[in-house]
Amino acid sequence: MPLQSPRVERRDAGHASVRRARPLLGTRVEIGAAASVSAAELHRAVDAAFATIDRIERLMSYHDPESELSRLNREAAARPQRVHRDTGAVVRAALEFASLSGGAFDPCVAPWLEDWGLLPRHGGPRPAHDASWRDVEILDESHVRFRRPLRLDLGGIAKGYAVDQAVQVLKQSGARSILVNAGGDLRVAGEQGETIAVRSPQEPAFIVRTLVLHEAALATSSACYSRRRVAGVEVSALLDPASRAPYLGGASVSVRAADCTTADALTKIVLFAEPRTAERALTAFRAQALVLQADSA
Amino acid sequence: MFTPSRIVFLPVAALAAAQPVQAMVYLSLEQAQELMFPRQTLTPAPLALSAAEIAAVERETGTRYFAGALRAWKGADGYFFADAVIGKHDLIRYAVGLTLEGKVRQVEILEYREAYGGEVRNAAWRSQFIGRAHGDPVQLGHDIRNVSGATLSCQHVTDGIRRLLAVYAIAIAAR
Repeated sequence: MPLQSPRVERRDAGHASVRRARPLLGTRVEIGAAASVSAAELHRAVDAAFATIDRIERLMSYHDPESELSRLNREAAARPQRVHRDTGAVVRAALEFASLSGGAFDPCVAPWLEDWGLLPRHGGPRPAHDASWRDVEILDESHVRFRRPLRLDLGGIAKGYAVDQAVQVLKQSGARSILVNAGGDLRVAGEQGETIAVRSPQEPAFIVRTLVLHEAALATSSACYSRRRVAGVEVSALLDPASRAPYLGGASVSVRAADCTTADALTKIVLFAEPRTAERALTAFRAQALVLQADSA
Repeated sequence: MFTPSRIVFLPVAALAAAQPVQAMVYLSLEQAQELMFPRQTLTPAPLALSAAEIAAVERETGTRYFAGALRAWKGADGYFFADAVIGKHDLIRYAVGLTLEGKVRQVEILEYREAYGGEVRNAAWRSQFIGRAHGDPVQLGHDIRNVSGATLSCQHVTDGIRRLLAVYAIAIAAR
């Protein structure tokens, strides 16, 4: 069956279906939607959804020295910093996941990723050696403070959050059959189910599983593309907060949950938490995990 | 009481694996032009760079410039660029809208094509997709629409945009 974003955008009067993609969040972000409106109106709604993702990236990008997150890392140990509502929401969620997972989800391990060249090193006070996510404080909903200098990294959850916000924008515009896929972190909303293909973690050319998602989100984590050799040592972007060792296994973890913020965070919890803690977290969020275990390289 | 686990472990070696190739056309060139410059006439803006200008672009951006993939058009309130980049395993055609001052105002991916068999290194394979004339039928017929896991980065598109801005500065703004 030919696979094509419909070149004919109107099937009948006031019914449109589109699928578009932009480079955002360091990856290809796809948005698909259908609505009982004109193609032009639907495109505008998709524009608004992309704009929301772009806005979230500008707020929370670790790579961008001008992002709100980078400002926190520079200033929040010295004085409380006012943050946008989205940043506050993601920081709060990150701390909640850190707390319920006993730190298996840890948004404060960036210094090690910086050491390995996986994240950029911007200026700012040297992170305290024993600083942790417990040193991040949220004050009155819109201010964040660090009790000690540290580096907060929202990379393990912000992509999922951006997907959720984009889906909200599209729902508010009246779109049905919504799909937002940010490099494999995705969410489906609306009447129809969507078939999702999950790649083999070490042979990405191969699809090893398909599943149907209906009103749900899916996020996948693996070390596949971030794995590299730095100063003679194998590292990856997935760092075990307890051992501070990079995850070098060949598995991928996919989590299905009601929303993408949760799915995104839970992949790290499934990877790094004690099995009982991971099960408890999945149960609490009515989520399920799929671990594809390749032979280790 | 046995509580079933919420984690399913699947050894990949034991699974049947399919190798469909993901290929997706999001927008035609004309659709992208209409989205970025609605109802405007766009006239082609030739980008004939001299060897010195190409060297300057490559030096400034740290990327190679290949004539043929990058094309530009001028409209009443900006410029429209179409370009193609290849990564290790993919080819991406994309479009960028600039303001009249050369600032990026919109980026859209036109087409995404995966190629795990090394096809990206084959000029004949690439030429099917790059520099294609308007309205040519697109060969599709692959089954996977939505993918999760091991997704490639878009760094080559980001680099392409940077290069395109350098070309704009040298070949359009400076002239």
